[in-house]
Amino acid sequence: MSATRHIEREDLALFAMQLLPKDEHALIAAHVAQCAECGQALAEVQGDFAVYAHTVDMHSPPAQAKERLMKQVAREKKTVPVERVATPPLEFVGRSEGTYRTGLGSGAYLAEEEPKRNWAAKVFPWVGWAVAAAVAVVAGNLYHERDALLSRMTAQAGRLDQVSADAAAAKQVMEAMTDPAAKHVTLTKAPSTPTPPVPQGRATYVAEKGTLIFLASNMEPLQPYKTYELWLIPADGRDPIPAGTFHPDERGNASVILPPLPKGIEAKAFGVTVEDEGGSQTPTMPIIMAGN
Amino acid sequence: MYRDMGLVNTPPLSAQDDAALLALVKRGDEQAMATLFDRYSKVVYSVALRVLRDPASAEDILQEVFMQVWRSPDGFVATRGSLGGWLAVVARNRSIDALRRKKPMDQVEDMALAAPFNLANEAERNNMMERARGIIVKLPVEQRKTLEMAFFDGLTHSEIAEMTGDPLGTVKTRIRSALTTLRKAFQA
Repeated sequence: MSATRHIEREDLALFAMQLLPKDEHALIAAHVAQCAECGQALAEVQGDFAVYAHTVDMHSPPAQAKERLMKQVAREKKTVPVERVATPPLEFVGRSEGTYRTGLGSGAYLAEEEPKRNWAAKVFPWVGWAVAAAVAVVAGNLYHERDALLSRMTAQAGRLDQVSADAAAAKQVMEAMTDPAAKHVTLTKAPSTPTPPVPQGRATYVAEKGTLIFLASNMEPLQPYKTYELWLIPADGRDPIPAGTFHPDERGNASVILPPLPKGIEAKAFGVTVEDEGGSQTPTMPIIMAGN
Repeated sequence: MYRDMGLVNTPPLSAQDDAALLALVKRGDEQAMATLFDRYSKVVYSVALRVLRDPASAEDILQEVFMQVWRSPDGFVATRGSLGGWLAVVARNRSIDALRRKKPMDQVEDMALAAPFNLANEAERNNMMERARGIIVKLPVEQRKTLEMAFFDGLTHSEIAEMTGDPLGTVKTRIRSALTTLRKAFQA
């Protein structure tokens, strides 16, 4: 067999299927390695077999086959040098001179592809670098954005902690002030002769926010169907504004915490009346407690 | 790494062509390997099963072929979706070797293959399969049987001649005629 005498297609088919005796196989392999024409013919025969192979009845591999493969792949992890990260050309180039080309199609197929291959060989390496540069820029921007977001998140988390702590303290204050088991003591100058305790009330009011806290002690018990009512008396002369009803407990203590009030009403004074259960929109005389 | 972080606007792996996936495999991208497996494991396994007629042995071939891709992605010439065809032929050759319990005759790197089909595309692959089956079914029965005995059963032309009683030359001619018919039908 010589380079000028090409191999019969029949023998190429048997060679491709590895059905020839060893010595004959070696002879054809040597010839094909040097003869481009037979190399192309062999590639075509292999292409025919590739198509033929696809005529088998299709069966899915067992489900665990993929898992098994991926485990093996993970066991044989690769380490890749950094300079090889750029995407390589999509097409493989031909072999060294004297050997047949790889991956050949029909003659027409080759003729169509040749110019593209040259163009691709020139352009693709630069495309790879361009893509790498673009990726680096995008990655840099995203890295900075990520840092900024992390800082903002940390600040927000700190503020949230502060708010939570404030809320917990406020809740504790509220619970202490409204707890029926709390002992309320008002200290005054010690009298020379003992006198019976008198009803007392302390109002804390923030006009701008409409916030009012009222604590009372030594309040006398009321008849059934009666209630105490707290009044805000505006400084601008408007009618008194109801600021909540309350009942003293068995020790005479009572409170009105954050009743619904309009904001921005300056208070001239506060007063307490006795009203029918459910309260009233206008105070019923007399005013039993007052303060300004 | 960048793709994992979603930083690069690349198509999903399942839509990438074989050459791009092989390039990723070369860089050690296990997900690309999984995508290639999803794409071609069925045909590789089916060919091996047809030759070996044993699921466990076919699975061994499946593993062997895909590990070869993982270890030597450069060994596969990625010319326009031919990887699927290539893997099918490699699966057949490895299965025949296993059947004969002998070492592989050829290194896979040495096999060139012409496949003007985009086998990476599932629709095109299925279409090609249907067409090929239709052509094979219409072959004269002796051509079809001879090709089958040689390709899937790994019988040499001498063995086929002995079994069928046909002359050696006739066996060779039938194989060639069957392949020629197949190719011409696809070129038409």
